[in-house]
Amino acid sequence: METVEMQTLAGVIDKKMNRQLKQYIDICARCAICKDACHQYVGTGDFKYLPARRAELIRQVYKKYFDKTGRFVPALYEARDPDDNLLDELYDSTYACTGCRRCMYYCPFSIDTAWILSVAKAVLIAAGRGNEMLGQLADAAIFKGDNVAMFEGVITSGFEEIAEEVRAITGNPDHGVPVNKQGADVLYVALAGAHSIRPAAVIFEEAGESWTISMFEAANYGYFYGDPEKARLITKRYIDEAVRLGVKEIVVPECGHAYRVAEFFYEAWSKEPMPFKVSHILEKVDDYIKTGRIKVDKGLIEGTVTYHDPCQLGRNGGKFEQPRDIVKAVTSNFVDLTPNRAEQWCCGGGGGIVAMEEFKDVRLKSGSKKVEQLKASGANILACPCENCRLQIEELNEIHELGMEIWQVIDLVVASMPLPGNKKSAGA
Amino acid sequence: MSDETKIDLELDLKGLLCPLPMVRVSQNITNVPVDGVIRAVATDPGAMADIPAWAASTGHEVLSAGKEGDLFVFLVKRTK
Repeated sequence: METVEMQTLAGVIDKKMNRQLKQYIDICARCAICKDACHQYVGTGDFKYLPARRAELIRQVYKKYFDKTGRFVPALYEARDPDDNLLDELYDSTYACTGCRRCMYYCPFSIDTAWILSVAKAVLIAAGRGNEMLGQLADAAIFKGDNVAMFEGVITSGFEEIAEEVRAITGNPDHGVPVNKQGADVLYVALAGAHSIRPAAVIFEEAGESWTISMFEAANYGYFYGDPEKARLITKRYIDEAVRLGVKEIVVPECGHAYRVAEFFYEAWSKEPMPFKVSHILEKVDDYIKTGRIKVDKGLIEGTVTYHDPCQLGRNGGKFEQPRDIVKAVTSNFVDLTPNRAEQWCCGGGGGIVAMEEFKDVRLKSGSKKVEQLKASGANILACPCENCRLQIEELNEIHELGMEIWQVIDLVVASMPLPGNKKSAGA
Repeated sequence: MSDETKIDLELDLKGLLCPLPMVRVSQNITNVPVDGVIRAVATDPGAMADIPAWAASTGHEVLSAGKEGDLFVFLVKRTK
């Protein structure tokens, strides 16, 4: 690699480094407490997945270019150029990371390795080494947003089919899936699949909510790819739509990163305040149950139910209790996983890793702690409000023959509602 | 068109949810020769927008996309 190219990549690091990040890379004592916190290191024993090591690669380049010690005596301070070897290492350690931030929770200095790896992704993208699949998924989402008229017919037709299913479940001919309803209170920003819309529609309609759906979805592979501009563009579609429709609140679905992007990142990316509230679907459902807007029956779900905290909703989003309250409201047989809440193990499926075939082996090995937890719980039903987590845990369930049913929380809620067309039952 | 088109690879994407149908097509596009065709069958309606959007943004071509019963069937041509 040419010297000038390496200087350019070092410049990317310099541009991204704020005082907090500089402190992180200076303060790491290499105590390696993070090794016992990282599901990937625990599951594989591979040094490159040690959180301190992942961050160390960025520190080495920073030392080489922007720190006197590393500039003048690079060998002594392990300072390195961002050459092809370093970028190879950086690619594996960065894109394999699920961004669960369990290492940060246990780090004595609360070093945010996932944040440091956002710098690493910027370097990799600048070097033309961003993950190709995540880039394609992000570009496809941007294309869909730019050409919504091209897809409006198939999307609307899908909504009409779901509306039929909703009416069949609730038995109410007035129920449906309102699309682009001006002046609705709530815009539900779903995922692309019917599974994300159908149960939410049943719940909204039964609760008598003033709601609507639009052509735009919540998933954001620009965020996983590591390009804030792509991520901003993807999110902007539904933010603009929410403004146009004049809603008071946007509600994001059971998708961990979608919640974090909408609630925590978009305003920072766009530098504009959102003129409405952002809620997670489970906050709404919890409220509907507690205020009696929907009726649930604990007798309709058979078996023992446990709950997995998706990292982006739980540890990184602070939503621990509402989902548990919902699950406890729909079953008398709830057992928690151990550990749980902020100490919950990452399942290994976040960060877009389920879409990256090259990390399949590490992904499945890194699920070992989750498998241990699920076995120890004795539960036969898992409620899990994150698409990526469910994809991972369903695969672990099959490989390790756990014999569990993996459910969205909102599906479990609908299964517990005494509705005339409710055929789906859990644990039966 | 499906009756006349030579299929180079069949992909069973039934049961996969967004974005996996698009991911599987993308992963397999280089497993057919240039001008070769993948026939992909999915059950997630999200694929009806996702796969054409992926093809358009990557420069490949969707020869047809439609519903056959409960299945969504795509013919995707590798163009490069």
